[in-house]
Amino acid sequence: MKSLTIAATNLRRFIRDRGNIFFVFIFPMLLVLVLGASFGGDFNARLAVVTEPGGDLADDLVTRLEAIETVNVVSVATEEAAVRGVERGELEAALFIPADYDESITAGTPVNVQFLSRSGQEGNSLRSNIESAITQQAVVLRAARFSESEGLATFTEALAVAGQAEANIGPVNVEVTALGEAFSLDLLGQFDSSAQTQLLLFVFLTSLAGSAALIQTRRLGVAKRMIATPTSVRDVLLGEGFGRFLVALVQGLFIMIGTWLIFGVDWGDPLLATLILLLFSLVGSGAAMLMGSLFSNDEQAGGMGVLFGLGLAALGGCMVPLQVFELISPGLYNVAHITPHAWGLEAFDSIVLSNGTIGDIAVFLAILAGYALVFYALAIWRLRVVLTR
Amino acid sequence: MAQPTLDCRGLRKVFGDLVAVDDVGFHIDAGETYGLLGPNGAGKTTSISMISGLLKRDGGSITVDGEEMTTINLAAKALIGLVPQDIAVYPDLTARENLVFFGKLYGMSGKALQSRVDEVLEIIGLADRAGDRSDDFSGGMKRRLNIGIGLLHKPNLLILDEPTVGVDPQSRNAILESVEQLSSAGMAVLYTTHYMEEAERLCDRVGIIDHGVIKAEGTRRELVQMVGEHDRIRLETTSGGLQSAVAALSELPSVVEAGAGDGLIELLVTEAGEHLTKILSIVTEAGVAVAGVDIDEPNLESVFLHLTGRALRD
Ligand SMILES: Nc1ncnc2c1ncn2[C@@H]1O[C@H](COP(=O)(O)OP(=O)(O)O)[C@@H](O)[C@H]1O
Ligand SMILES: [Mg+2]
Repeated sequence: MKSLTIAATNLRRFIRDRGNIFFVFIFPMLLVLVLGASFGGDFNARLAVVTEPGGDLADDLVTRLEAIETVNVVSVATEEAAVRGVERGELEAALFIPADYDESITAGTPVNVQFLSRSGQEGNSLRSNIESAITQQAVVLRAARFSESEGLATFTEALAVAGQAEANIGPVNVEVTALGEAFSLDLLGQFDSSAQTQLLLFVFLTSLAGSAALIQTRRLGVAKRMIATPTSVRDVLLGEGFGRFLVALVQGLFIMIGTWLIFGVDWGDPLLATLILLLFSLVGSGAAMLMGSLFSNDEQAGGMGVLFGLGLAALGGCMVPLQVFELISPGLYNVAHITPHAWGLEAFDSIVLSNGTIGDIAVFLAILAGYALVFYALAIWRLRVVLTR
Repeated sequence: MAQPTLDCRGLRKVFGDLVAVDDVGFHIDAGETYGLLGPNGAGKTTSISMISGLLKRDGGSITVDGEEMTTINLAAKALIGLVPQDIAVYPDLTARENLVFFGKLYGMSGKALQSRVDEVLEIIGLADRAGDRSDDFSGGMKRRLNIGIGLLHKPNLLILDEPTVGVDPQSRNAILESVEQLSSAGMAVLYTTHYMEEAERLCDRVGIIDHGVIKAEGTRRELVQMVGEHDRIRLETTSGGLQSAVAALSELPSVVEAGAGDGLIELLVTEAGEHLTKILSIVTEAGVAVAGVDIDEPNLESVFLHLTGRALRD
């Protein structure tokens, strides 16, 4: 009961600070946009096409590519710029059409177009898109040649001419280059991390900022005054923590619902996703309370919060996927599981990638609950020490 | 005899090498106001923190209405209203919101809480500013709000730790008046101060504390009698070098005690009238400019001087 009073006052003060409106709603909205753009469902692959001007057939091929709904054709001036774009993950792939494309096809000699992509699903599907565009073009060319040879009425003659026409059209080969190994690219661009990793990173980081509220309450002398009333240290800490927990939960839900509604980001089963978020917010607020009891200077705590928030997220697979850790070294993979983030991600992976049920993620949830419990218990112990010594 | 509202004995607190409180003990009955009078660093706040269950003690016992006080005994804490030395309110909440918040922590709720908050706002003279954030308040108003929080649940024992520090004279008077009223309504009050006047005006009994030890305890009368048949001379000065003047004055046989602080020289003298000229000339020789002279009966200040050889204000 006392905890709820303290939580309510914590929230009232939080909301009264205008800057926090930004923090709770505007900031996550930005994150919604960023996450939605990166991970949303109706996302078009960006394909750079590098071609010399003037070739009718080359232009025709580009037009065909542009007509494909899931492909966004970007014109890039130089080959280098295109390669760099793919390396950085700004582009999914690049297609290089040689200057002699028209000439070779008309002359019936073979021609190579070069295709560069990062390895993976997207590159493959883009490549088949391009191949089918080239095939379409060839069909039309054949038809054109066929009608060119006018006045042929019989089937056999027509067939013969068609065969002749085919021979006259140079074959187009798509030469494929994949850029590097899959995981080294994941290290470079952050495009293979998921919306879930970003959510956990954000929720934990902003939770930790809540340690400043506890420190302020201590510095104002209000924390001490609270325990001069018939209120236990535990109730004080649970109350302060609960306020911050609600803030984290609201932010997280806002992000999940926002990205799902606007961009169709897949969060798996909504109830299970909420449950994971709820437990993870408890962990975050618990960590914030522990920091708020350990540090007596809110700037110091703020700095450490950013350090821990980013550090644990990085270690826990929020910046580089855990699968990559597994590839590099099993030891690192195990160390990653010191962090609550890794367990949160395991839970999300289960429900998003393999339709996991509550039974499948129960262990992960229990581990997260364990983290929350330990953080809160340590924080209560520490706060009791600092307030009564 | 009925049990006292507060009974503490042998209180002791050590911080590292420093014995901050050593064998402090006293009792306060219902309706009685007890003063702890002592300079900064004497151990007043440390004693009060132990009594209100905010600080673990290294020795001694504390009971409030028979309930043993510890840092975790909530039943004992419910009997006390603490007004801490440093203002402890939420600056971004209004006066009313602060009062309601702490009222709930004291276990009050609903209509009873609301009407009590209104009453307290009247007592502390903030009824017309109840809806204003406390960081918009003057120092005196903040102090009064700080006190109001301690009154909310009508505690059996009200503890005020230097409640008038940094307060304008008008607010100070208002504070002292409300303490008098609460006491006459039957509350036991523990009041710490380093202002002799406040202790003399408010307190039925006073404990004089210095370096963590209660040097003497009693009513004003009892304490002043300890000093004997002496006069008190107070010299207001406008220049430094007080210590050398005090040293020179201590040589005089008629000067029983001499101390200085806060631009004042305090003397305890036999036959003040006869020796005043001599005293003034010594002070002037020591290079101290005297702006005013005050001869009076001994007071608690004299008692402190007598007990410690130092002036109360330093
Ligand atoms: N938490 C603490 N740690 C170390 N020393 C302390 C602490 N609190 C008080 N002290 C020391 O104990 C002595 C008594 O302090 P205090 O009780 O605040 O005096 P008063 O309230 O009479 O001014 C002082 O010397 C002070 O510096
Ligand atoms: Mg003090």
